Amino acid sequence: MTVFSLIIINKAGGLIYQREFQPGLRKLSTNDYLVLAGTFHGVHAITRTITPKLPLATASTTATTPTSSTIPSTPGTPTPPTPASAFTFPNPGIPATGLESLETDKFRLTCFQTLTGTKFLLFTDPMMGNIDVVMKKVYELYSDYVMKNPFYQLEMPVRCEAFDRHLAGWLRGRT
Amino acid sequence: MAQPARHSAMPSVSNNAQNHSTASDKQHPPQQIQHIANTGLRVPSNRKTIYDRHLNRSRNAELSRASFAFLFAEMVTYAQRRVTGIQDLEKRLNEQGYPLGLRLLDLLYYRTISSSTSSSLSSSSTSAAPPNRPLRILPLLHLIHGPLWRLLFNRPADALEHSVSPDTPNEYMITDNDPLVNTYISVPKEMSMLNCAAFVAGIIEGVCDGCGFEAKVTAHNQPTEMWPGRTIFLVRFGESVMEREKVLERAGIK
Amino acid sequence: MVVYSFYIFDRHAECIYKRRWVPRPPSIIGKSSRPTSESSSTPNALPPVLGQSARTTDDDAKLIFGTVFSLRNMVRKLGGEDDSFVTYRTSQYKLHYYETPTNIKFVMLTDIKSPSMRIALQQIYINLYVEYVVKNPLSPVEHPGGVGVNNELFEESLEQFVTRVLS
Repeated sequence: MTVFSLIIINKAGGLIYQREFQPGLRKLSTNDYLVLAGTFHGVHAITRTITPKLPLATASTTATTPTSSTIPSTPGTPTPPTPASAFTFPNPGIPATGLESLETDKFRLTCFQTLTGTKFLLFTDPMMGNIDVVMKKVYELYSDYVMKNPFYQLEMPVRCEAFDRHLAGWLRGRT
Repeated sequence: MAQPARHSAMPSVSNNAQNHSTASDKQHPPQQIQHIANTGLRVPSNRKTIYDRHLNRSRNAELSRASFAFLFAEMVTYAQRRVTGIQDLEKRLNEQGYPLGLRLLDLLYYRTISSSTSSSLSSSSTSAAPPNRPLRILPLLHLIHGPLWRLLFNRPADALEHSVSPDTPNEYMITDNDPLVNTYISVPKEMSMLNCAAFVAGIIEGVCDGCGFEAKVTAHNQPTEMWPGRTIFLVRFGESVMEREKVLERAGIK
Repeated sequence: MVVYSFYIFDRHAECIYKRRWVPRPPSIIGKSSRPTSESSSTPNALPPVLGQSARTTDDDAKLIFGTVFSLRNMVRKLGGEDDSFVTYRTSQYKLHYYETPTNIKFVMLTDIKSPSMRIALQQIYINLYVEYVVKNPLSPVEHPGGVGVNNELFEESLEQFVTRVLS
């Protein structure tokens, strides 16, 4: 199991945590990491907006069948009232998200966005499985050792020694 | 008291990990809970709140560790307002703990007495303390090390030592390898001297004072490889206490 | 497997070819989720019925280029110059990316269950683009506005490739 590094981006797109666990990726300057976080934040939002929208009724079918009777109501998907712009996402019922996982030849980037808007970016070996487990633990440790720390100011860089210690310890225990 | 706890808001804090945060949910039989319209308040159907309950009944009850962590974080944040320095902050935390110690002492005595018949509390070696209040330093420290720590943290403290230096015979040290209050706290580098367990030191000071032992208690970081959060509580007894101790020793009172 | 759209960007970051496939909603067609092709190589000919009234496909192409360009640069920064970004996935779709040594970028959007399309994109490049666009004496060297790419042979074979080989 190889976890290269972890990046945490706050809801405004600012870098609040960056840590390398195992070598494998190139090291960037602090400024480059800040730029990377901001860029990713923007790209993440765009990847959500370019979600393919599938028309609920094509022009040919609306001519023969009434739209309302053929379309099953799918709760949770945006179905505007005007039939002209009626569309569905490929996976109706699941809210559209931004980029969740990215693969390259050398690494896999998994992005988890919490409901509060914080993004966790895990860089792992492309072959590694069970990233969900790691991600869940990272979120748990963050909730415990960052959010419960009276000296942590919200949205500011995370400098919590207990978080570092527990994270490193847990990852070491899994390798 | 083998009954399960029925409410989470109890005056005892436990570090029993498997029970934290969900303890109350698990132990509530669902049919006993009545939802009061949209307020989110839950009251047992028999209308008895924790205030109606016998004091001994809440003895083994536990408080969610997360609730305590958030509450304590707010206490530290509150104490941090308008402080002049680390010592000032520690003093404020100490002052928050002090009245708690004074009050806890009564609860501790009460339970020690009432349970001495059922002998559930006196099962350990250190809590062989009689129902009487301690007169000498050592029984007092044992009371703190054992029963008080168990009441607060559900386990005894890790060590109790007397200062080896002949200059400071009035100094005693109580060690906690991993203080519950500091579990989630990372102190910033620029405040590395700070130990938020000053709050616990305040509680100890309150207990000592309540027993009639004038003392100053401070918390100090003593990290080891194994225990990065190890904390020493330094108890310094006042001159009057030391003089009385000598008199009592001559009189042969234990 | 469902293919939603396909884009080619040239080395000047211009979109020289785009095509969208609109799968019929399964509730209507019932048995097959095979994409039915909508001839959409002329971008603005798409009627607003296709759910793109708010944002034209032109904008989509720009957004997609911006996304893959940023991600490619990010990947190179972290993984080194020889690392390349292959694919990303959201809860709704998967984007596949292939860049030729001549800086032409092929992008394909599919459903999330589809396997890696790297080989497929490579085949489109070698067997279709090089064969029917590059080798076509009538096609210009550069393709401003997509001139020369949307010839019949290329379009036909792309259509066949997507409907037969991929689904």
